[in-house]
Amino acid sequence: MSNVEIELRDVHKVYYKNQIDIPVLVGLNLQVHEGQFVVLMGPSGSGKSTLLHLIGGLDTPTAGSIRVGDSFLESMNERELTSWRSRNVGFIFQMYHLVPVLTAAQNVELPLLLFKMSAAERRKRVETALNVVGLSDRMDHRPNQLSGGQEQRVAIARAIVTDPRLILADEPTGDLDAKTSEEILNLLNLLNREFGKTILMVTHDPRAASHGERTLHLDKGVLERDEPTPKRAVAAV
Amino acid sequence: MTLTYVLMQNLRRNPLRSGLTAVAFALPMGVFVVAISLVVLLIQIGEIAEKELRLATRNKTSLTSMLPEGHRRKIEGLDPNRERLRAVCGMRWFGGRIPGEPNALTSLAADPDTFPIVYSDVGMTADDIAAWNAKRTAAVIGRGYADQYRWAVGDRLVLQSTVPPYLELEFHVVKIIENKERANVFYLRRDYLDESLLAAGEEAGRCNIFWTKCNSAAALRSLQAEIDENFANSPEETKSEDENAFGANFMQAGGDLPGLMRTMAFVVLYIVALVAGNTMVMSFRERTREIAVFKAIGFQSRRIFTIVLAESTLLALVGALCGVVPTAIGLTLFPMTQLRIGPLATIEVSPIAVVASLVIAVLVGLAAGLWPAYQALRLRTVDALRRIA
Repeated sequence: MSNVEIELRDVHKVYYKNQIDIPVLVGLNLQVHEGQFVVLMGPSGSGKSTLLHLIGGLDTPTAGSIRVGDSFLESMNERELTSWRSRNVGFIFQMYHLVPVLTAAQNVELPLLLFKMSAAERRKRVETALNVVGLSDRMDHRPNQLSGGQEQRVAIARAIVTDPRLILADEPTGDLDAKTSEEILNLLNLLNREFGKTILMVTHDPRAASHGERTLHLDKGVLERDEPTPKRAVAAV
Repeated sequence: MTLTYVLMQNLRRNPLRSGLTAVAFALPMGVFVVAISLVVLLIQIGEIAEKELRLATRNKTSLTSMLPEGHRRKIEGLDPNRERLRAVCGMRWFGGRIPGEPNALTSLAADPDTFPIVYSDVGMTADDIAAWNAKRTAAVIGRGYADQYRWAVGDRLVLQSTVPPYLELEFHVVKIIENKERANVFYLRRDYLDESLLAAGEEAGRCNIFWTKCNSAAALRSLQAEIDENFANSPEETKSEDENAFGANFMQAGGDLPGLMRTMAFVVLYIVALVAGNTMVMSFRERTREIAVFKAIGFQSRRIFTIVLAESTLLALVGALCGVVPTAIGLTLFPMTQLRIGPLATIEVSPIAVVASLVIAVLVGLAAGLWPAYQALRLRTVDALRRIA
């Protein structure tokens, strides 16, 4: 059995809005092993994205402990979290969020500017990342010259170019058609199976969920069910 | 790729907006360069004036009210041993224009014997002085006029006075002044003018101003007081001032030009800052989500602050260059001699003005970018990402 990559202990998250406490996550306990592909599902407002943000170091819990690898995120300040994110996490968003004035290759290169690396080394990593997502022939295209699926592939390449331990995807297929969604999900599967990336993916789509090996169901901030994904579990066997 | 490259590419994000902002910078900066160059020119004229130690004595009432030529002898009589003054030159406004042309040249009739002494900075050689003395119709003209009207030494020309009795007189060019400060002036002999006035039945022997060349600054100050004291309580009281003060008052008579330039410069800066600030605020608002993603990727808040600030500064600098460079080239290739505004026509683009414009553009860019950069610094990634979703 692989190591526990992510561990949450009694995590609470409360937002304060207009002098009202809004509990979003309530007493969450969770373990994710290295190399697992975990899907987060639940109705709107269930806390899925909040959980993703906490694990990704974009936010801090109101109470409780979050360990990712050897790092305890709840004790880090903003600067430390930002630095930790740059080395350990790759984000994939629903709307891709590529910089429109940069080419695909330049968008992928962006995270590498945070590291001391030669231009040649950066170039090599960018080419590798775009090769993995199957877009080597679109390196010099700008986002407005790419389809939605291609843009998301570039976003995935950007997420993996720093070789992070963790990939966090928030509704990565939310803006794509069924065929393109399937391509993106297969790509995530590839990253998980071939490259051993630990992936957490938020989705509303049960078909997308079937690509994970484990599904967490949240409702009103509480982890209601934690079960292996039947289809994936069969494939694993 | 570098962050500087990303920064520059961001300016291309909305080319129309960036272009309009750059134009909004370019025009005012061009005006600013001209304004500052003008102020620099006025300072330079003032410095030269101080060096020449000339004292201007005019009618206390106004410059247009004339004084009798006898005032010259009385001024000279204050220092018979010539310890404090070297010479006195009476001048009368001629205001000649080329027949058929609307505007008058800056043309003054000067006492021929003392003009070369009092105006030694004109640079008349012994031969020039000999030619000036030999011909009643001699004229000494500035390089600006010479180039504009294609006059050369030896040329004959005719000017018609724009003041009564509107004499039309013939002149012969004996000297072209190369000094930039005197590019657009025309000196004729006052004895020639007086003869012509008398021949026309008009009163002669009057001057608008007497220029006294002093031997020292102290002599200038003492003579300044003495001359006016000497003519106090007379029918034609005088007001004496050094050339610098005379020039400043002369400019003030046509409106407070330096003050106007300063006001214009501040108004320009204010407008430019508002335009730049508006552009940066709009740009930031459109890119909130993108900035959130940058932070999510791992860019520190301070770095993003710097990027936003640098973008604003770069936009301002590019805009300023778009104004400064064409203005500098334009003024160099097309000097303002056509405008016939006396010494101001010799305005050149001052390096001080160029540097000042670019520095001010940078400062304005920084100021305009400060608020959006601060907002970017404080942007909570999670909140911005939620807005995205």
